[in-house]
Amino acid sequence: MTNEVRSGELPGGMTGWVERRLQLGPFINAALHVPIPRDAKTFYFGGITLFLFGIQVVTGTLLALYYSPTPEAAYESVLSITSDVSFGWLIRSIHHWAANLMILFLALHVLRIFVQAAYKYPRELTWIVGGGLLLITIGFGFTGYLLPWDQRAYWATVVGTEIAGDVPVIGPSLLLLLRGGAEVSEATLSRFFGIHVLVLPLLIGGLIAIHLLFVHQQGLANPKYPEPRPGRPAPARPPERLKPFFPDYILDEVIAWYAILAALVILASLFPAGLEPKADPLVTPEHIKPEWYFLAVYQLLKLVPEEAGVIAPIALVLVIVVLPLLDRNQEVRPRRRPIAIFCALLLLVALAVLTYFGGRI
Amino acid sequence: MSGGFPPSVETAGTTIQAIEEGMDGPQGFGRRRLLRYLLGFSVISSIAIVVTPIVGFLIPTKTTNGAAGGRVAAGTLDTLPVGSGEVVAVGSKPAIVVNTTAGVKAYSAICTHLGCIVAWDGAANAIVCPCHDGHFNPLTGAVISGPPPAPLPALTTVVEGSDIFIVTG
Repeated sequence: MTNEVRSGELPGGMTGWVERRLQLGPFINAALHVPIPRDAKTFYFGGITLFLFGIQVVTGTLLALYYSPTPEAAYESVLSITSDVSFGWLIRSIHHWAANLMILFLALHVLRIFVQAAYKYPRELTWIVGGGLLLITIGFGFTGYLLPWDQRAYWATVVGTEIAGDVPVIGPSLLLLLRGGAEVSEATLSRFFGIHVLVLPLLIGGLIAIHLLFVHQQGLANPKYPEPRPGRPAPARPPERLKPFFPDYILDEVIAWYAILAALVILASLFPAGLEPKADPLVTPEHIKPEWYFLAVYQLLKLVPEEAGVIAPIALVLVIVVLPLLDRNQEVRPRRRPIAIFCALLLLVALAVLTYFGGRI
Repeated sequence: MSGGFPPSVETAGTTIQAIEEGMDGPQGFGRRRLLRYLLGFSVISSIAIVVTPIVGFLIPTKTTNGAAGGRVAAGTLDTLPVGSGEVVAVGSKPAIVVNTTAGVKAYSAICTHLGCIVAWDGAANAIVCPCHDGHFNPLTGAVISGPPPAPLPALTTVVEGSDIFIVTG
């Protein structure tokens, strides 16, 4: 009956035609017309990461149309994409730079959530799902790195999988599973390609949907006041000042996306993705190094015994993922959480120092 | 004023005035209408910027046939006696060479019907397409029977001693 009443108010044309059949209006309203706290400062990091993922889906699909995942043809196909195919260099370089920026903005997003304590009640699950997204994104970087099948790709994967082989107990099995054999070979390339273009995209698509659903259900956190918890006295706070998510917030977000797109084109044009000589399993080049986001682990492995160098990053990631379950402090303002902020600063400095020394030849 | 798109310089001048005066009715260009045009222009430009490299990327690069010009060996008279024929590769494309009573003939081996590769049928003394039973005359390439709409394109052959060549390019 309500439908009958509403159908009288429906717009004409295509929108009305679709709406009469699907009644999507309430769903779209519920998704878009959400008030958000005026004090919320997201810096658009999460949205930018999502935008970069969208760019990866588009450019990655395009690259897959020309790429051949075999040791004989992979290198030549990447070379052909870069030098023969129209705009091939641009698509490939944007894929390369968007991958790097995605890791960067994901890290900034995690940092923002941490500093604003947005992982605390009631958003613990959103943070944990976000931890899964972080791991999958790193998985994308690791598996995608091998695909050009040049010397850098090949040997970085040899070293990377070797490190995975040092994980206590499951290491040797993990190494075999990753490589599809004892060596980095054709089987490894097929596996990494399949994981990169099929397994991880499906996983990340599902987790992104869950992550966004949680964010939508809970709304954005106010960085000044903690959420009232059940069974505890509600902290004193002034009435929430709100602004609409659509169009106010979305418009700002789109402007940020345009800026990122411009940055990507500039980076891809000035610093296009390169290609080293074709992979040679018999010759290890000098100064082989992983991508910048693995440099800290790479450097740590030079300084400490191998097992410790492998366990420490895993333990760190685990602690970060379950942080909301460990940190029971209700406070959200950074100056009232000195221990948490000090630990984070210490970790950042350690990562920066390790990355710096790992990057030096 | 009729709001043509894109607005002329004079129209644009009037527009600014209209905005300043807050005119928004059917007589003025209207701030809302201008914004709508600007938004439409931005959206279309953005789509064009993204779609142009994607379409360019999808258009396949020109491939060489491996035989840009010259002669391609297509067997010998010893292996191809009168009344026989065979399919040979000319670059990346197939050709059929037939030794007929009127000399050595060669045609494109791609059937003009739906692109299947034709073969020599000695019993029928015809070039035959296995897909839909199209028959071609070995002397001219013309269609004898079946659905092919056009004859097989003829290729130039040269016989030197007992060697057969197809001239390309």
